[in-house]
Amino acid sequence: MQDFEDFVALRSQALLRTAYLLCGGDKGAAEDILQDVLMSMYGKWRRIRTSPEAYARTALANAAANRWRRRSRKPEAPLELGAVPTSRGHEQQVVDADSVVRALGQLPRKMRAVLVLRFFDDLSEAETARTLGCGIGTVKSQTSRGLARMRELMGEQVLTWN
Amino acid sequence: MELKEAMEAATADLDVRPGFVGDVMAGGRRRHTRKLLSVTAAIALVAGVITGVVLTRHPSDPLLTHDERLTAATSGDLASSRTDIEQALRVWQSTQKAPDRITDFSAPAHVFWAGRTPSGPAVLIVQPVRVASTPTPMTLVGLVATNEVVDRELLLDGERERGIYRFGADQSTNVVLTLRRTVYWSQQPVRGEDGRLSRKWWALETGGTGVAVVSTPQENKPVFVRSDTQPADDDFLQEPLMAKQDYGPEGAFKPHTGLGWNDSVWASDKQDEHPQTKSMFSLRDMQRAGVLDYLVADGAFGQWQVRAWLPDGRFASVFEANGETYAAIYRANGTFSQGVAGSRTSKGARLPARVRLPDDLGTVVADFGFRIGPDRRPDAWIAPAGTTSVAVGLADGDSVQVPI
Repeated sequence: MQDFEDFVALRSQALLRTAYLLCGGDKGAAEDILQDVLMSMYGKWRRIRTSPEAYARTALANAAANRWRRRSRKPEAPLELGAVPTSRGHEQQVVDADSVVRALGQLPRKMRAVLVLRFFDDLSEAETARTLGCGIGTVKSQTSRGLARMRELMGEQVLTWN
Repeated sequence: MELKEAMEAATADLDVRPGFVGDVMAGGRRRHTRKLLSVTAAIALVAGVITGVVLTRHPSDPLLTHDERLTAATSGDLASSRTDIEQALRVWQSTQKAPDRITDFSAPAHVFWAGRTPSGPAVLIVQPVRVASTPTPMTLVGLVATNEVVDRELLLDGERERGIYRFGADQSTNVVLTLRRTVYWSQQPVRGEDGRLSRKWWALETGGTGVAVVSTPQENKPVFVRSDTQPADDDFLQEPLMAKQDYGPEGAFKPHTGLGWNDSVWASDKQDEHPQTKSMFSLRDMQRAGVLDYLVADGAFGQWQVRAWLPDGRFASVFEANGETYAAIYRANGTFSQGVAGSRTSKGARLPARVRLPDDLGTVVADFGFRIGPDRRPDAWIAPAGTTSVAVGLADGDSVQVPI
């Protein structure tokens, strides 16, 4: 199982970041579901025939979705809304970053997962569809609606993707 | 701030806690063991209820699984050939000295099919075994031919049986199990003048045995699919069966055996990253368009990409698959425009990846690690239409002219 241990050591940080966004900024939950996913991969490692990272991403998306269901659709541990600095700089960047996580946390789980996989993990529409077990059409529509919703939620801190 | 940038900024300081890797490994081991114990307990309970006796597992318990092939009569045109069957069983047993994970081979192996093939007699064998990780018996199924075990599969819970074995000179003999479905096969795809491929499909005949033998060299590009309906001539989206040889090397992070490049580079000066560019590369688009054939083996697809904005505003993704170069062309709004097949890839040759773009847009040429064209662009360049030779040089050395 040395190769599995190598995989955990090498890829856990990147996977934690994906999990964090999938959980709408709840770090504790992200670490919990990542550990749970990796532990379940231990027993299946030799049977995983796709890329282990792709397998882990799919499992993380499912785990985040299940967690969302268990929490009765409540937003997940939203970040405290801080005062918006008046001058732009490092502080502004921090606010933007927190705001994007907060906005992500308010999206429906599939919409959030699509945005995270497409824009954070750089997956194509086809790869995202395969990861989430849905059609490419769904990915397209969720991307479009998700981006529009993000604009609404971000208010003045308008994000760009062009 | 861009969405990706914002997401990256939001996660930049995140890392797993110290000891996380050790916790995962220990937890994984514990969970795995617990699962196996609970499965054993459940089976023991059910068996106890059924038989009315208290079941205590003992190493001498008979190994049994529910695979009906264990008790099926031997089929195939060599079913009555005791010599071939006994020889195959000898080979099968002789290779069971220290196979990974399998700890108990004490149950008898059973031949469920024996037949003639162009590469000699072939015998399909099934055997219940015990593996190190679980006390629950598992089914081992495999094929013996040319005096060796061609392949064997341990059938794990919830995992589909591959059911295809390839062997013989030039790997030209295929023994395929239908597994209660229909297997369709095809070979020698034909590319039409419009650049689109087509394949003729045939249903495998098994004569009621569930096993078929197909002899065809690998250069004929045979494809097998298990399906309830016959694939259309222009259908390249079915899931092809993969033999042992088609799976990549054990473990992750192994280098690709094609050109071996593993980077994504630009061939155009314009290198805008906007959301559409991330979706402007899809093998399914190319297969749906009939330009790209089935990718049967894990290694059929290269791990590099050349991207370029074209003079007419479209976007091209150039990649390697099935030993050939392809360009997938997308409109600026992200929708697929068309696919083009390019040169065969030839490792070691100069400019081993070339694709002539449509509409006189030029030719994408790539040679990672080299400087290409009059401006000595790194790795890739779009040679204008009409270019007949391209300069290729090392970063600090002379250049050579390569005809294209």
